[in-house]
Order: sequence, then C-alpha cells, then structure tokens
Amino acid sequence: MTRALVAIRGVSQRFGADGTSVTALDSIDLEIPDGQFVAVVGPSGCGKSTLLSLVAGLRLPSAGTVLCDGEPVTAPMPRKVGVIFQEANLLPWLSAVDNVAFPLKLRRVAKAERLAAARRMLELTGLAGFEGRLPHELSGGMKQRVAIARGLVQNPAVLLMDEPFASLDEQTRMVLGDELLRIWSETRKTVLFVTHSLNEAVYLADRVVVLSARPGRVVDDVDVDLPRPRSFAMSAGERFGALKDRIWQHIKGAERR
Amino acid sequence: MRRHERLIVAAAILGLFALWEGLARTGLLDASLAPAPSTVLGSLIRLVGRPEVRASLWVTAWEVSAAFLVALPTGLLLGFTLAEVSVLGALFRPLVNFLFGVPKSIFLPVFILIFGVSIPQKIAFGVFTTVFVLIMGGIAAVQSVPRELITVSRVYGASRGQIIREIYLPAMAPILLESARLGMVFNITAVLLCEIYGARDGIGYRIAAWGENLQMPQLYAALVIVAAAAVAVNEALRAVETRLGAWRQRT
Repeated sequence: MTRALVAIRGVSQRFGADGTSVTALDSIDLEIPDGQFVAVVGPSGCGKSTLLSLVAGLRLPSAGTVLCDGEPVTAPMPRKVGVIFQEANLLPWLSAVDNVAFPLKLRRVAKAERLAAARRMLELTGLAGFEGRLPHELSGGMKQRVAIARGLVQNPAVLLMDEPFASLDEQTRMVLGDELLRIWSETRKTVLFVTHSLNEAVYLADRVVVLSARPGRVVDDVDVDLPRPRSFAMSAGERFGALKDRIWQHIKGAERR
Repeated sequence: MRRHERLIVAAAILGLFALWEGLARTGLLDASLAPAPSTVLGSLIRLVGRPEVRASLWVTAWEVSAAFLVALPTGLLLGFTLAEVSVLGALFRPLVNFLFGVPKSIFLPVFILIFGVSIPQKIAFGVFTTVFVLIMGGIAAVQSVPRELITVSRVYGASRGQIIREIYLPAMAPILLESARLGMVFNITAVLLCEIYGARDGIGYRIAAWGENLQMPQLYAALVIVAAAAVAVNEALRAVETRLGAWRQRT
C-alpha cells in the first residue's frame, strides 16, 4: 500500500466554553494515500468544513493529530497544501495572473519566475488569454478556475477543496468537475474534496467518506469502483446509482432529524 | 460624460454668465448685490496682483496644509486603533460619533482661549474639525477589508506584515483616499471659518473685512479663488483615488 500522505488520527474538535461546548468532530481516523481523490460528504453542519480547516492548519484540533507528508500540521503549510474555498476569494485589485502568482509573491519568488509559473497554471486551468483580467471582469466559473490555478501554483502535494463549485450554476459545475478530473489526472495530487452533492462526490472521487450529523463521526468509507476516465454517461448507470444510494441511506436519516 | 454632453454643459454655464452679465448691465440686477461677472473678474485680477492679498493666500495655504498633515495620520491611526482594539472602540466610538455630529464652531472660543488669535489656533481648529472625518474613515476602511482574503493569505503562508501590506493597505486605499478628500473639504472650511471669526491675516480675514464693508466684487473674487483652490485639491485627490480604486466593481 502507498503511504498515507494525509493522516488524521483520533481528531476531535469542540467549540465553545466547557459548559456549552459543542462537539463538531468526534475521534475521526482517516488515512489518505498519495494521489487519492477523496470526497467528504455528510449532512449539513456535520463538521466537514471544520475537518478541512484542520488539515489546512487554520485551526488546531481539540484532540488528536493531523499529519501531512509525515509532519504534524500546526500551522498552514503553503508549499504542501493548496486550498480552494467555496468562493474564489481572489484579491480584487490584482489581475488573474497576479492572483495566481500571489502565493509565490508571499514566498518572495522573483517576479519573472512567479509570473511564468502563474501563466502555466492559467493555461492548465483553461484560462490562457485571460491573464490580465481583473476578478470583476471574470465569470463565477472563471474566478474559480483562477482560484484552482492559485491552489496549484506552488505544486503542492495536497489540494483541499471546500465545496468549490457550490456557488456555481449546474452546467458550470459539471464542466469544472470534468476540468478538475483532467487536471488531477495530469498532476496526480492528493485531493480532499468537501461537498454536499452526492453526484459530485461519486462522479469525482476514488473514495467517499461519509460523516454523521453532529458530532461528526465517520459512518462509512465507500470505495468508488467506477472506471476512469469518468464520463457523464456513467452517472446514469446502475453502479453509480447503487453507490449514491448507499451514501444517501446514511444522510437522509440525519437530515430528517 | 460624452462629448456632446460636455458641450451642452459648457454652453449652459456660459449662457448663465452671459445672462447674469446682461441683467447686471441693464440694471435689472442690483449691482451692489450681484456685480456683473466682468466686474468680479476685474476685481479678481487686481486682487491677485496685490502682494498683501497673495501673502494672505499663502498664510491660509500654510494653515490648511499644516492642519491636514497633522490631522491625516492622527485621525487615521486613531480610527485603525478604534476599529482593531474592541475595548477602545466600545469606549470611544460613542464619543467620536457624538463629536462628529456637533458643529465644531461651538468650540472656537475655546481655541482662542488656549492659543489666542494666532496661526497655531487656526491649525489646531482645522485639525480638530478634520480629525473626526478621518477617524470615521479609518474605522470604515478597516471594516471594509474582507475577512476571507485574510484567511486566504494565511493559507498561503502570509506573515502579519505581509497581510498588512498585501491585503489591508490595498483593500483600504480607496476608502482612505475618499476620507482624505472629505477631510480636506472640512479642513479648508474650518480654517476659513476660523479666519473669518477672528484673525490678523489669511484670506478668510480679508473676506470678513470685504464683507463688512459690503465690497461685493472683492468678496466674490475671493470666493472664486477659494473655490478654485478647493476644487483643484479635491480633483487631484480624486484622480489618485480613481487610479488606485480601479479594481472596485462598478455597478
């Protein structure tokens, strides 16, 4: 077995003071091998985004450890981990290419070098020719492509995606899903992808981790045994439906409560 | 504005002046109340030619600039502090809001008691008036910085200094410049008011004297000078603001 690139061991997360504390995540154990595409789904408020922010190093767990590439995560690791949020969160005063180059600028990479890297990433995400545009001149889908390019520009081993397509319309979401799979097959990143869309989870991932309602626990770990490359036709197939149904059984009870 | 719109505006303004000139010359308009534009223009040229008027203008310019240079950093830094330190914000923001709404001229006698009728008094009163605009601007600027952008830069490894330089400053720049512009308007008004109220020199002092003697052409000529200076400063700041704020989405 390939070694675990991201290891989440006995991780719990509580919020608030002792008396009124809420347990968002309860003893999560998860090992993600190098190059795997893992989707995390669960009912609303199950702490899936919290899990992602722990791996991103934006907060520390109340208990347990998160390891990334063998190293405990105690702060953001910009060179190992790229993060893409639901909103593109581009710096509105920077052009597309400068936004993509921004993580390199923070690392004080020379200007010519970082712009060249940013241009390559925009090309990879299908935005060649839009380098000079300001964010408000781009559509929602294009902004998210810029955000993905920015996430990839340091060539991190891990890509964390927190419902990255949730605020896009369905057609754009499907196109970007395919684009993400193409980019993933070209770069072979380890992807942790939080979503509330079961279709998206099964369509994109190698493996779907299902969390329970609060406190979030891992209730199922589904191996998506659909062949790659994935195609739209598969989503109408029997196997796709069966996988989706298995995940849905976990979620529907929790959402009804 | 498109080209023909500009032409229409220019023609309308010229037409208005022509009408005014005509009415004043035919005596339909009381020349002692509203002297003809040509009379005002003549007076303006004579005034600018007089060394003591030019000296007064310099005095006012100096007071305005000094007050602005003190008020700008003071006000903005106070605003940043009130926005970032929540305890201080809770303590002092009601006071700032209260003083912001009060006509500052009420305090003019206090400034005369402290500084006498002097140039420092004009500067101090200008600072006092302007600083509230800049405090409010500083608070608004800090609050305009999107939290998500700070999260994003943290994820990409930004240090505290980098977050200030790369996120806070550019995000705040348009509002800071806007406050500076607004502050300057308040500043010029405050210094002039102070000079009219009581002074030994300055263009406001001369305006007060011409006003008392009902020398309308001089009064209007002074108005033109002051307005032209105020508009020039305002437009210069606006030009910088537009350039730095081009990224702001226009709707």
